[in-house]
This record gives sequence, structure tokens and C-alpha cells, in this order.
Amino acid sequence: MAAKNSTGRRNMTVQKRKTFVLCVMSVAALLLLGVRVGYLMIMCSEHYTELATQLHERERDIKAARGRIIDSTGTVLADNKTVCTISVIHSQVKEPEQVIEVLSRELGLSEEYVRKRVEKYSARERIKSNVDKETGDRIRSLDMAGVKVDEDYKRYYPYGELASKVLGFTGGDNQGIIGLEVSYEEYLTGKKGQILTLTDAKGIELDGMGERRQEPEAGKDLYISLDINIQKYATQLAKQAYETKQAAGVSIIVMNVNNGEILAMTDVPEFNLNEPFTLIEEFQVQEIEKETEEQTTQQDEENQTEEKQETRESTQDLLNKMWRNGCINDTYEPGSTFKIITAAAGLESGVVSLNDNFSCPGFIVVDDRRIRCHKISGHGAEDFTHAVMNSCNPVFITVGLRIGAERYYEYFTKFGLKQKTGIDLPGEAGTIMHQPDKIGEVELATISFGQSFQITPLRLMTTVSGLINGGRLVTPHFGVKAMSADSTMVEEFTYPVSEGIVSAETTEKLKYVLEQVVENGGGKNGYVEGFRIGGKTATSQTLPRGTGRYIASFLGFAPADNPKVMALAIIDTPQGTYYGGQIAAPIVRQLFENILPYLEEMDYN
Amino acid sequence: MAKEPIKFRSSKHNMDYILLTVVLFLVGFGLLMIYSVSSYEASVEFGDSAYYLKNQAQSTMIGFVGLFVMIKFPYKALQKMDVMALLVSAVLIILVKSPLGITRNGASRWINLGFITFQPAEVAKIGVIIYLASIIQRLESLGKNVIRTPKGLAIILVPPTIIAGLIYLITNNLSSAIIVMGIAVAMLFVAVPDYKWFVAIGAAGVAAVAALVIAVSNADATGSNFRLARIQAWLDPESYSTDRAFQTLQALYAIGSGGIWGKGLGQSMQKRGFLPEAQNDMIFSIICEELGLFGAFTIILLFVVLIWSCMVIANKTMDRFGSLLVVGVMAHYAIQVILNIAVVTNTIPNTGITLPFISYGGTSTLFLLMEIGIVLNVSKYCR
Repeated sequence: MAAKNSTGRRNMTVQKRKTFVLCVMSVAALLLLGVRVGYLMIMCSEHYTELATQLHERERDIKAARGRIIDSTGTVLADNKTVCTISVIHSQVKEPEQVIEVLSRELGLSEEYVRKRVEKYSARERIKSNVDKETGDRIRSLDMAGVKVDEDYKRYYPYGELASKVLGFTGGDNQGIIGLEVSYEEYLTGKKGQILTLTDAKGIELDGMGERRQEPEAGKDLYISLDINIQKYATQLAKQAYETKQAAGVSIIVMNVNNGEILAMTDVPEFNLNEPFTLIEEFQVQEIEKETEEQTTQQDEENQTEEKQETRESTQDLLNKMWRNGCINDTYEPGSTFKIITAAAGLESGVVSLNDNFSCPGFIVVDDRRIRCHKISGHGAEDFTHAVMNSCNPVFITVGLRIGAERYYEYFTKFGLKQKTGIDLPGEAGTIMHQPDKIGEVELATISFGQSFQITPLRLMTTVSGLINGGRLVTPHFGVKAMSADSTMVEEFTYPVSEGIVSAETTEKLKYVLEQVVENGGGKNGYVEGFRIGGKTATSQTLPRGTGRYIASFLGFAPADNPKVMALAIIDTPQGTYYGGQIAAPIVRQLFENILPYLEEMDYN
Repeated sequence: MAKEPIKFRSSKHNMDYILLTVVLFLVGFGLLMIYSVSSYEASVEFGDSAYYLKNQAQSTMIGFVGLFVMIKFPYKALQKMDVMALLVSAVLIILVKSPLGITRNGASRWINLGFITFQPAEVAKIGVIIYLASIIQRLESLGKNVIRTPKGLAIILVPPTIIAGLIYLITNNLSSAIIVMGIAVAMLFVAVPDYKWFVAIGAAGVAAVAALVIAVSNADATGSNFRLARIQAWLDPESYSTDRAFQTLQALYAIGSGGIWGKGLGQSMQKRGFLPEAQNDMIFSIICEELGLFGAFTIILLFVVLIWSCMVIANKTMDRFGSLLVVGVMAHYAIQVILNIAVVTNTIPNTGITLPFISYGGTSTLFLLMEIGIVLNVSKYCR
């Protein structure tokens, strides 16, 4: 009995100790789990919080306002219009009939259309976008459950057609498609904001849990050198010529000779920026013509598949054609205006001086080719100054030949003619020029008076600017600066300039002869009373030759002794009179008559 | 002023009020959290945000009746019920297969006795505790270390194994089977002076688990085996986020997003349909999310106090049977709390184990409170 009790007592002591051990082990396990919980909640907190937030939040984008485009006078050329997007959230709609009735009435949509969308079981159904703000506000003020009105921005161009090919337009999601809207996309485009709402597992927004907003960041305003008044006037003149001469197109560029700022650039016909996908009249006609053409050629079985392909693409092709900016996207043979370059190369290389005497019999034989002067009877004896005033081909050919192919090519390169101007517009066309080893006497002769190669109108202007401003080859441009909406400077744009493409003496001589051209020579229609104007006309046959199609142009600058502004007018395929001196020079004259006093008043430069 | 008589009485007849306070706090806190966690789902599904709260409050009321009955009921009478407790447990488990059995959410774990619906597995836990406490006491009273003979071991371990086997096979409830076996092993551990066998078995267990984990992690992910898949999901929850590890990962999101101070009571996002039925096994994760590390530690510490109090009562009791009863209950709580928190924190693979006093569940609340009643009853006879 005693033994039994002692065993029992001993075992009771063991039991107590082991109960304690069991308890300590359990507590230790719990404390270790506590550490594990602490690890999860402190060390992994960020990771899981992020994953959980992704799971809980539904995001809606808030569009950012795109930066405006503002001209040098402070006029807004590209702006944003607030529009609304109306959508319904099926699960939140309480009175579907009222919603259907109101939305179909306010939005001018058929009842079935709205009903289908309201009754569709989806997280969020869009009813209509691009609804004007007043309608949106009115719908919002009704405060119907499940109807969401989101504000949105739409690009708006207050001046419609003005500078359409320069400004460009934007697409559905507000990204630039052509023009400055593309080049300055990174400045203009804003940063999207987000509305983050907490939802339950079914995606239903939770009331009273609040929402997190990441405010959108508006794009930067782009300030450009374009002057709306000059642009308007240039456009008006171009349109006038376009209509009276029934031309295929008229381009006018006005540029600051000394820094490359472009004051106006128009390429008529222009299109309405607010409806860029609507073909303008000229192209509608073409579309119809094309269609009928296709119908007539339908018998031609070989081409049939090709034709069909064309039909499908034709509208887009026509749109692309309509959007083309002839001033920079297309090249042409400059013709006589290019004689400025030959003159500069001749004077710079010393193969000719202003007083050198020449004789023009009305033609010149190069190799075995006889190249005519535009005056068939010839200009007779004349010095170089007069040869420029007369735009005498044989003299320029002679000068060109004196320079020689290799040296001429060097000047061509040095004057920047081989490279693009670097203008801040997309799609600039490059120069089409002979390979240096392929330039024979005949090629050199034709190059000397501006034929057998192609450059863009802007290329010509830029190079001539460099020749008459003292040898500084500037980069033509529109963009001046980008500023945020609260007028803090973001960036002032700078553009490369290459100095010393010609000597100061050559510049002086060129200015003198080109002023003579306007004062007494072929460019006298470009003369503006009270101003000293320099310039050069051109009348070039388009390729293929002999079709009777010409390009008439005039390049003028003022003041002739201290050039500040240059204008180039190009009339493509005019009907009737086609001489540059007769139809293009008056355009520049009228332009200068108006803008020179204006620029003086503006204290230009 | 009131202190003096209490102190005087505590030496003989008073029960452990600290334990009672902790339990009452846990039960009250559990109700609060059940409402917080389930109200969103309840209002979506039943149109009554207090649906689960009402059910649980009802079970808690019944539980308190059980608690007071067990406080008053002389626990020594339980000693004579040892075999009966076991038989009742076994019969009730088998009844699940009878027409009285009820299937919910695809699991046949309940029986309906007309006036009450409950899980026999919960009855079995208390049954096993009573049986073992009684039988160990009896074997010990025989002296001569009968308990360490093969026969003695068989008497102690075979019946709980049968019960656990029945629970696993009939109700397909692995976690309850594990708990029953865990209680049996813990009580045996306490009863015998040996360590080495337990250390050896524990080491073997760890080695087996490690081998299994290595095998599984190298095995095909195609695993048609349900439990194999669970282990794979445990090892790498983020790779199985949409199916097997869905619940685990959602619980981790909840815990991780709580941070130190939590989102505030009622502010959980995960309970809004992301972590389905969070009021059951996963309630601890929502506690973490809403009350943060602070709240989680508070709960863990309360359970530490609970377990510690049980140990103190067990060791203060002169009566071996009462002491063993308390040890069994302590083991039951400890196993369940440890396994629950381990599952929720993805420390072990997912098995459905509820958090005592806090998780939603009528039967477990009733029997957990009855067990506390027994412990409090025993505590009256301390020293």
C-alpha cells in the first residue's frame, strides 16, 4: 500500500513536470507562430498589401487635357473641348425605365438602342461618348442611380482649316496623327489620371469606402512661331490664286531669315482639322472619278484584282493625299530660283564677278546638246548682274561649268542642300540628287538653272536664307517653347545653326543682285512701294516635260539690304499664264504689302 | 474590502476567475468578429447582416448553459463514464451514416437529433478526454508501471485510434482525427515519465514530413490526389492562386495587408467576398487585417494565458483524474489554436481547423465551453 502510494506520488510529480513541459512547448509553438505572423505583417506587408490592393481596386482612367498650341500672338490654335461619356452600371441601376427614357431623350438615341445597353448584364456599359458638356451636366444633375457621366477631352481647332497641315490633328485616343501634334506629342500629351474605387469580389463598387484619385497631369502648351494674322493673310492669298488660276495647289511659306522661325505656312487646299476624316470637295470629286475610271476599266480582266484593291485603299490614299503638306512632304524642281545658289557658288568660288561680261545668243551648246534660253532671241551682251536680272540660262550654265561638277557638288553639300532642313514637322522629304560621279557636263548645266534634281520648297528657302543672312544655315521651325498651363517654362527649344556657309562679301553681292531682280529685272511684280525687296522668280516645267504643266514660283525677302523675312509662293500647275514673275511675284508683293508694315509695328526682331 | 473574503475562500472552493474572464473575453470578441467578418456576406446572401451573428449567439447561449452545468456537475462522476463516453462518441459518429446524418457543403459531418444539430466529432474529443483521464488514473492506481506495459499502452491508445479512424473514415474529417490523436498522445506523454520515445517518434514524424515534402515538391503538378495537391499549394501558394491555394493566398493577403495597426474594426476588404466564409477557419486572418499585428498578438497572448491557466490548474489539483481532464482540455485547445494559426499563416498545409471560441460553429462552441466548465469545476478543488 505504501509502495503503491509512493509510486503514485512519484508519478504525480512526473505528471506535473510533464504537464508543465507540454504547456511550455505549446506556448513556445504559439510564440513562434506569433513571430511568423509578425513576419507576414511587417516584412511581407508591402508585398501582400500591393497584391491585395490590385485585387480590390477597379480603376477608371481620367484623361489628361492635351496641351494647347498657341501662336506668337497668343492666339490658341489647338484647344480642348470638354465632352462627356455616358455609361451605365447594370448592377446599380434602380429605375431602368426612367434611365432608358431619359437617356434616349437626352442623347437622341432610339429607345431599343438604349434599352439593350441598360438591360445588358455587364460591369459597365458605354451608352454614348463625345456628348457635349451641357447635356452631360443635365444628365448628371438628374442623379439617376447607375448612370455615370465621365468628363473627357476632345481636341478642338477654333480656326478649322487654318494651318491644318502644320498643326495636324489627333486621333481617337488623343494622340497626334500628323503635323505638330505628332512632333510635339511628348510635350502635348498629358499623363492620365486614375480613379481607383474599392470593389467587392463581384466588382461592385463599395459605397462609403471612398475612392482614390490620381489626378491627371495636363499636357504642356506648345508656343509656336506661327503668326495667325500672317497665316490668315497667306492662306487668303493662296486660296485666291488657287481659285483664279485653277491650280492644283498653292503653297506659301513665310520665314524669319535669321533664326528659321516660320511665320506662316500654307498649302492650299487645306482641310478642316475638326473633321480630318472627311474628304474635302476636291478629293471627293477625285474619289468619284476614280470609281468611274475603275468601272470603265473593268473589262480589263488582268487588272481587275489590282483595281479592287485600289478601291478599298482609295479613301485612305485620298485622305493621306489631302493631309500632305506640299511645302515639306513633296519635292520639286526649283527652276530659276535655284540660280541664286549657282550665283552664290560662282561668286564664292571667284569664277564670276558681278561685272563679268557675257553674251547670250538664246542658246548654249553643252557637249553635243543645245540648251535654250527662255528668251529665244537671246539676251545679247550682258554683265552677270543683268544675267541674274534676266534669269539668263546660258550665262548660268557657263558659270556652272566654270565651277565644275566636283566643286559644284561640294557647294551643293556645303549649302545644306543634300540634307533635310530638320524642321519640326514629320515626314520631311529628302533631296533627290545625282550621284557625284554621275554628274556630266549636261547634268551640271541643268543643275545650274535648277533642273534635273528635286528639293522641297522649304529646303530651297532655308538654303537661300543662309546665303543672304551672312552664311548662317538655320533650322526652320515652329516650336518656340513649351510651358505648363500655369505658365512655368518647361523648355525653350533651340535649333542647330551652321555658320559660314558663304562669306559676308558673297552675301552682300547676292543681296544686291537679288534686289536688282525686283527693282529692274524679272521680279518687278514683287516690288513693294516703300520697302526694299530682293527676290527671284522661277517657272519650271514639271516632269514629264512637254505636258504644258508648270510650277510658277517667287522667292522674295525684305528688307533687301538687311533681310529679316522671306516668303516663297509656289503655284502648282496654274491654268493660263504660268510665269512665276507674273503670277507668283504678285502674291508675295501683296503679302509683303500687308505684313511688312505689320511686322514693323510688331517691332519684329 | 471585497478582497478579503475572496482570498479566504479561494484557498478551498473558489474557481479560477482569470480563466473564466479570458474565456468570456474570447467568446465576446469572437461574436464581435463574427459579425464584422460575416455581415457583408450575410447581407448579400441572406439579406440579414446579422444572420451568422444570431446563429452564433444562440449557440453561445446554449454553450453557456453547458458551461454552468459542467461547473456545477461534480466532475468526479465523469470518471465512471469512461467507456460510456467512448461508446457514445463512436455511436454518434456512426449515426452520421444513418438517416439522421446531415450533409452540408458536400461534407457529411452533422447529425440531427431533432432538438439539436451537431458534429459528433466534437463530442468525440471530449469523450476521448474523459476516457483517457479515467483509464490513466485507473492504470496508475494499479501501480507497478502498468501503464508502460504493452497492454497498458494498448488500453490507452487503441480506443482513441479507433475513434480517430471512425472520424476520418466516416466524416472524412482529417483535422478532427488529428486533434483526437493529438489529445491522446499529449495525455499519454503527461502520464508516463519517458521522453525518449516521444522524442524518437517526433523526430521520425519530422523526417517523414520532410521526406513527403521533398517527394511532393518533385512530383508532377498534375496530382489528382486531393491532399497531394494541397501540399503543393502550400509550398508555393502564388503559383496556385486561382484554385488550390486560393483560400490560403487570400488569407495571406488579409494578414499582410493588415500591417501593424490594422485597417480598423469592420474595415476588412478581404471579407467582402474575396475570402469566402472567412468567419470559419480563416477568421484569424481577418482579425489580422482589421486589428493588425497588435490585435493578432493580443489574441495569441490570450490563448497563451488560457493554456497557462489550464496548466496551473492541472498542477494544483491533487486529484489525478481531475488533473488529467484539465491536461486533455489544455491539449485540445493548444492543438487547435496552433494548427489554426499555422494554417492561416500558411505554415502548414491547409486543413479545416477552427479557432477555439472565435470561429463560427455551434457544436464546437458548445463543447469548448463545456470543457471550460470542467476545468473550472476542477479548479474549485485546487490545493
